[in-house]
Amino acid sequence: MDKEEAPQIPRRTTRSLSSTSTSNTKTASKENNSLESLTINDLLVGGDPINLDDIISSFPGRSTQIHEIVRLLGPLNSPILPMFVYGGASTGKTSIILQLFKHLQRPLVYSSCRTCYNQRILFESVLNQLLLHRKNAANCYTNAKRCERPSDFINFLREALTSVIDNLKVKSEKSISEKNIHGGMGNMIYLVFDNFHLVRDWDKSSTILPLLFNLHDMLKMPEVSLIFISSTSPDTFYSTNMGYVEPIPIYFPDYTEGDMRQILLRNQANQKLYSSFLDVALRPFCRITRQVGELSSALKPLFEKYCEPLSDKGKGVVPNEDMKRRLFNHIKPHIASSLNDVFKVSSPPSSEAESGKETKLKGNLKRSEEIGDLDFHMSTSAKYLLISAFLASRNPATLDASLFDSKGGSDNRKRKRKASEKALEKKEMLEEELLMKGPGTFPMERLIAIFQCIVSVGEDPSDEEEKNNEELGAQCGSGSLMSDVLLQLSTLCNANFIFRGKSCPIEGSTRYRSTISEDLALKVARSLKFPLSKYLYRS
Amino acid sequence: MPNNLLSLEMAVAMETEGENHHIVKALNLLRSRICDTGFIFKDSSDGNYSKLKFMISSSVAEACNNSILLLGPRGSGKLAVLDLVIQDLLLQYPDSISVVRLSGLLHSDDISAFKEIARQLCMEHQLLFSKAASFDDNSQFMVAVLKECGLAHKSVIFILDEFDLFAQGKQRLLYSLLDAMQSVSSQAVVIGISCRLDADQLLEKRVRSRFSHRKLLFLPPSIEDSQRLLALMLTLPLESGLPYDYAVEFNKRVQNIIEDKKFKEIFNKYLNFDSSVKHLLRFLFYAVSHMDLQTGFLSRENFETASSSIQRQPKLECLKNCSILELYILVCMKRLEVKEKSLCNFNAVMKEYKSVHDSFQTSDYYARNVCLRAFEHLIHRELICFSDNRGHSLSVEFRPVKLLISSGELYQGLKAYQSCPAILQKLIDS
Repeated sequence: MDKEEAPQIPRRTTRSLSSTSTSNTKTASKENNSLESLTINDLLVGGDPINLDDIISSFPGRSTQIHEIVRLLGPLNSPILPMFVYGGASTGKTSIILQLFKHLQRPLVYSSCRTCYNQRILFESVLNQLLLHRKNAANCYTNAKRCERPSDFINFLREALTSVIDNLKVKSEKSISEKNIHGGMGNMIYLVFDNFHLVRDWDKSSTILPLLFNLHDMLKMPEVSLIFISSTSPDTFYSTNMGYVEPIPIYFPDYTEGDMRQILLRNQANQKLYSSFLDVALRPFCRITRQVGELSSALKPLFEKYCEPLSDKGKGVVPNEDMKRRLFNHIKPHIASSLNDVFKVSSPPSSEAESGKETKLKGNLKRSEEIGDLDFHMSTSAKYLLISAFLASRNPATLDASLFDSKGGSDNRKRKRKASEKALEKKEMLEEELLMKGPGTFPMERLIAIFQCIVSVGEDPSDEEEKNNEELGAQCGSGSLMSDVLLQLSTLCNANFIFRGKSCPIEGSTRYRSTISEDLALKVARSLKFPLSKYLYRS
Repeated sequence: MPNNLLSLEMAVAMETEGENHHIVKALNLLRSRICDTGFIFKDSSDGNYSKLKFMISSSVAEACNNSILLLGPRGSGKLAVLDLVIQDLLLQYPDSISVVRLSGLLHSDDISAFKEIARQLCMEHQLLFSKAASFDDNSQFMVAVLKECGLAHKSVIFILDEFDLFAQGKQRLLYSLLDAMQSVSSQAVVIGISCRLDADQLLEKRVRSRFSHRKLLFLPPSIEDSQRLLALMLTLPLESGLPYDYAVEFNKRVQNIIEDKKFKEIFNKYLNFDSSVKHLLRFLFYAVSHMDLQTGFLSRENFETASSSIQRQPKLECLKNCSILELYILVCMKRLEVKEKSLCNFNAVMKEYKSVHDSFQTSDYYARNVCLRAFEHLIHRELICFSDNRGHSLSVEFRPVKLLISSGELYQGLKAYQSCPAILQKLIDS
């Protein structure tokens, strides 16, 4: 997401801004004068002035929201109660606010709670902007103020705001005396807190949330207004034990199918062709997701496929009814299949790093299926370790002996074959449990034991049953392997293939858990030519 | 709407010379009135105002110590009324009052509280404040200043906003403040402000015994009072530079709106929900900022939009945003909940989803990873959430989740959803 990089050199760019208006020359010129000290004008959103109609036309389906915000912001110098702008991901909250401020030419202090990821950084970022302070080599990239406690923040903030507002008042008086028709920047200063929902997960969220919500009442400055931008509704903030007077809500609903169509049609070379493509493809995809970003990335490969029968990849073709029908028949079988891999490639990172990694990994694997090989390198012993961790997580510990010990194993399996209904039921329950509880945990000793067993099997797959015992003994005898294995284990843990839990309070030993999916485990096993399915306990 | 907006644009552009200059001016006047917390309490012959003023002024005049608690729900104007009183008293006794303001949100720990007291006292008496002063220094300084102030017959008024937060922990601040007040020479008033009606019960015994149990209760105004306040807020002054005819016409129209039956209905409904002054002010702010700038008068529609856009139903809105697949997952989870499964996670939901598909042959049956993504969307939308914070070691599929939406809401939401498959409604009915 581009907007997270906002505080970097070109101040405040959003996805749409960076794609449309900010040209290269502009950023270059900005960089050149970056060493000059900032003035109050830098609190405005940079770029060419834009008029309201342009904003409305560049955000399809958002005119009610834009009008509402303009009305609430009101004419120049009119005070405003705190606003709370909310709506799902990629609905244009941040972009519209920033564009509107660019249009209105009023000063704002923008800080995203994603880049400012704790309260100290948030405080300091707000103060830096208000004090017109820029971090550079000359001041060793320090902040204008060091401020950790909320009490200090309020004092500094009041000071800084007073000086900024005085500054603005002088300026606007000057512009009035010069008979400037536009009225200048006014006396108001707007503090914008983006990604506000993230604050709930901060360490001291129970104090910082009521503090920020009550900031307006606490400062008692009519010239200061607050705008919160959050992707969750105000009611999700109630859980904090402190109350506050709710800000004025402004809701951005997700785009409807019609809006989505208009958005996707923008920046398309051949509008007519794309429109006929959307007639066919948009509706089924809308049933799955209604986020523009995901839709556009999912539709892109499909559109390429759609254009395949056309001679010049669909440039400059005006489709007639006949051609539409032909293309429809061509694309029809692909739609159903592509619906099921909507999110496979280039999935945007999800909130949890772990799951994100996993989906990405899975995605990689799916793509490399044709090659039939892993597309990442891993040492052989690490692969074995991965498999043994997977086995240890999936199989119940009581069955280890029967699975890996030749004698016990055969006995046990025979007994199982004659399984009664009861045993079957039990198995089902186990399966259910696996589905519900996820992979189990295991101590390191078990992992090493399994590792040694399967290494011996893997090295000599021809007559595993007979030699198993001897090899096991031999392996255990040689201690040289151990230190390597431990090293590999810590590598795997760091790479998030294996999760290392906290030490168990009763047993004292650390428990591990394999986090890889069965597909990946099978893939790894295949690359080693290891018969994994033989050792997996299930039906 | 766009027309009005254009007129606003024009109004902004032509502010210095334009013809509807007075409309913008009136709008600004109303908006600053609403945003100024004091205004609404200014003219009201509020009982609390006179009581509070009497209490504080008598203890200032008689040079005695006092402690008062102002209790009442959030947004009922405790601080605003106190501010008005203090303003008046500062005019009345300009030399014998100094005010120290603390907020429980900022100064609930003793160290920063004493630091802030020392800072404000230094500012007040033109002393040099040392940032490096220790906790001990600051607390001794406070006691010393209180003594000096007492000798000079000067009252220090301590305002403790969010008083209940000061009652957390060891209450050292409260103790040393109230203890310092026990000495004959000192002259201080401690005013606590809290939303908790049991705020005085939170105090330790040693603190409570030093506290004089004066309490002032702030109640939200009755509906009649609210209507009076509404009229007060929206009536334009006749002699303030605004054209006389315009102001008279404006006030007449406001009066008409207030007497309108339908408006009364909306107004009562809104206040039934929460009748505090702050809530009323939000309503007014929204309505006023939607005033038609071409005519420059308020209309009943302004108030109608205000009440409907402030009172939102976030869960239902959120359901409207969901894709069909996400709705399927929600319905499956609801079915699991009805079946009273002890634990519900993505795998369980998928099993239910599959069984629904098997028995009804729905057209919306998607692969597992697509569903997983839809599941994650639901988590981001906060329609469902993980039911424990412990399971970070597990991947999303296994972590237990719970629904954050009631079956009533889900039912209502599905009904309101335009292209909702009939099968889903059937599933939720059964």
